[in-house]
Amino acid sequence: MQIKLDDSLLLSVEKPAKYTGNEWNMVRKDPGKVDVRFAFCFPDDYEIGMSHLGMKILYHVLNKREDTYCERAFAPWVDMEALLREKGLPLYTLETFTPLCEFDMVGFTLQYEMSYTNILNMLELGGIPVWSRDRTEGMPFVIAGGPCACNPEPLADFIDFFVIGEGEEVTLEIIDAYKQWKQAGEDRQQFLKRVSRIEGVYVPSLYQVFYYEDGTVMDVLPVSADVPDTVKRRIIKNLDAVDFPDAIIVPYVGTVHDRIMLELFRGCVRGCRFCQAGFIYRPVRERSHEKLFELAKASVEKTGYEEISLVSLSTSDYSGLPDLCNNLIEYTEKEKVSLAVPSLRVDNFSLGLMEKISKVRKSGLTFAPEAGTQRLRDVINKGITDEDLTSSIRLAVAGGWTSVKLYFMLGLPTETMEDVEGIDDMAINLIETCRTIPGESGKALRITLSTSCFVPKPFTPFQWEPMDSMENLMQKQYHLKDRIKKRTRKVEYNYHEAKLSLLEAVLARGDRRVGQVIHAAWKKGCKFDGWDEFFSFEKWMEAFQECGLSPEFYANRKRAYSEVLPWDHIDMGVSKEFLKKENLKAHEGDLTRNCAVGCSNCGAQVYGTGICIKAKQRGLGYGQDAEI
Amino acid sequence: MARMLRFKFSRDESLKYIAHLDVLRLFERATKRARLPVAYTQGFNPRQKLVFGLPMSIGLTSEAEYADIELEEELSLQDFISRMNEGLPRGIRVLEAVEQKIKGNIMNQITAARYEIHLKTPKAMSLYEMDTLIQSLLEREDISVMKKTKKGPRPVNIRPMIYTLSALKTDIDAFCLEAFLSAGAENNLRVDLLMEAFEQETGLKVSILRMHRKALYTSTYNEWKNPFEVANG
Repeated sequence: MQIKLDDSLLLSVEKPAKYTGNEWNMVRKDPGKVDVRFAFCFPDDYEIGMSHLGMKILYHVLNKREDTYCERAFAPWVDMEALLREKGLPLYTLETFTPLCEFDMVGFTLQYEMSYTNILNMLELGGIPVWSRDRTEGMPFVIAGGPCACNPEPLADFIDFFVIGEGEEVTLEIIDAYKQWKQAGEDRQQFLKRVSRIEGVYVPSLYQVFYYEDGTVMDVLPVSADVPDTVKRRIIKNLDAVDFPDAIIVPYVGTVHDRIMLELFRGCVRGCRFCQAGFIYRPVRERSHEKLFELAKASVEKTGYEEISLVSLSTSDYSGLPDLCNNLIEYTEKEKVSLAVPSLRVDNFSLGLMEKISKVRKSGLTFAPEAGTQRLRDVINKGITDEDLTSSIRLAVAGGWTSVKLYFMLGLPTETMEDVEGIDDMAINLIETCRTIPGESGKALRITLSTSCFVPKPFTPFQWEPMDSMENLMQKQYHLKDRIKKRTRKVEYNYHEAKLSLLEAVLARGDRRVGQVIHAAWKKGCKFDGWDEFFSFEKWMEAFQECGLSPEFYANRKRAYSEVLPWDHIDMGVSKEFLKKENLKAHEGDLTRNCAVGCSNCGAQVYGTGICIKAKQRGLGYGQDAEI
Repeated sequence: MARMLRFKFSRDESLKYIAHLDVLRLFERATKRARLPVAYTQGFNPRQKLVFGLPMSIGLTSEAEYADIELEEELSLQDFISRMNEGLPRGIRVLEAVEQKIKGNIMNQITAARYEIHLKTPKAMSLYEMDTLIQSLLEREDISVMKKTKKGPRPVNIRPMIYTLSALKTDIDAFCLEAFLSAGAENNLRVDLLMEAFEQETGLKVSILRMHRKALYTSTYNEWKNPFEVANG
């Protein structure tokens, strides 16, 4: 079936081009001539989803296969959803206007917890039963992957199977398995068994969860002997050898990241203890600067984009940065393309680099000290000192920057009011010390402080920690606001809603029972929970009550090291033993060296690639800051 | 061979849902894909020297849009057209180009536009009935509609901006209105605003099937001209 939308519908929604596809580089195939039809779904608005690099990569990888057609779908914005429901039209893909229920596979990417209700909503809109158990022969398999899949349990009853880790290779193995299964003429259950044997695939219905009376998990066990006990995360060993898209889709509607994104490397050497990305993408694996430069040129030619951005968790840690930038600066100037180099540490090299690439005015610089005192920064293993920060900001201000953003977290483990007060002290000290810089910019300096609420995440050393209570967090926010107001007008303060963070904390570390709550909340109308204008804390709390579960149990409870965590059967590479050691060190305020300085035995060596190998080969000499 | 060009392009159903600013960006990227030697403005934020005659609102198709472009080196008109079309998505085609011999900003030159509006009436209607409605509309001296402006919505009298309006019957309950309207930087009457006024004044609820721009005009000495003629001198 091909959905036909008429003007009366499309002309009454905002930005109708989000729903009509046809963009430059959209892949066109005859759906009748492929074996597998795959709908890649992003559970948020088009403008967010089309900014996502992972989707571009998998779209490209899947469509390179002649036997497969990968199409796209996004969460329709509320105006469009209302019209689809009113006219009884199903959610469709942008390539061929086919309803989701007609696909062989429907895949969701899990980028943030607050998009979970949108998944249920898209399934229903697409004509697919939301509970996996209600899907019968002939219906699509619903799969999911992405960072949040490292704790798949809250979505376990909605998703037929999860892909743990990086998708480029395993997705292709799944497609192969699907074709074999179809040929064999087996039933749905047999396909799930087949994929459960692929490394990196987790089929939740093949595992049973047992609970103690207090609600903690006793064990998660496979239902039969031929299902693996733990599911190992997949990674790409050599980034240069894997396909990276250059002919990416160029949307007509402006999107959040409307530019070419060059992925420098995966993983991060830093090991900040609050940061999930710092642990679940280990080990660090780089793309060569030669390969990246080729990709940059091909992408510009095939898309016409006017901007390239370098993408990674910490650009300054990329060993090929000087070479890459030299080549890119020359090329982009010639082609009238602008170059964005985000997440740089401020030092002489990076300031020089920014001087060369940014002909635009010197607007804002962003720093993330994360905590206000040295003590607390040591707890989270954020290896920067007050002196580092002061000298960086002095350097930047002397270079002409007059607006600085500082990011902090409230509610970090062991935090006291003294640490909170350290935040505005730091800002005031910076204003004072910069006043002495010769020239105008020192006196003109303005600081914007932002605080978010710390959410403990699985596979981090803080996975056992309680999240700070909502009352505490709000008190800390008001205290900070009050102090800043009294002390200076040069500092502006913003903070994130604690309610939203509480929910994120529940979904991040939830077990399988939390799925009931997600379902109940969605039934009450929750969707686009990440958007302030739609988020309803009250509806979510009602949902918890109806399901007889308490959000505090998941968010604010301290776990014992001995407790079986709902995600213990997922193996992300980093060992639980290492995380435990890091947790103990955090409470002692002991630092752990980063992977570039030396190996700390986190467990990611099992992959036998990336920085783990290079560190071994070169002793400690890999990518050290001093060389840059 | 030309360095300063004025070109005419069309937009079909498949790309009619794109807003004006997005069309602009689409062209800027198309010239890059086509590797055309487009000239850029100086300054911090260099922009392509590419100017469009009249914004296209969402939902409008057209067979006669105009734009001016400046290149860094001379190209043959045919070369320009074919390369431009290689970089453009299927729904937008460059149809013709001329050398711009007399410099002038196309945006300020456009003064009128001709439209076709295909619509369905709620029930069968004769051409006579439709004509009567149109006549009654045109007889008014003041047709006040709320127009969105930078300072918020305010009433505007659109009657002086309607030059001609007539109907053709296309089906038992369908018509094609032909409208010749004031357009451009000074007094622009958008076709959707005209239809709003039509419904408001005649009390007839119609559903619009298609809005299509047939032509754009410039005027010199009270004479309507094709924008190409003005460029050629």
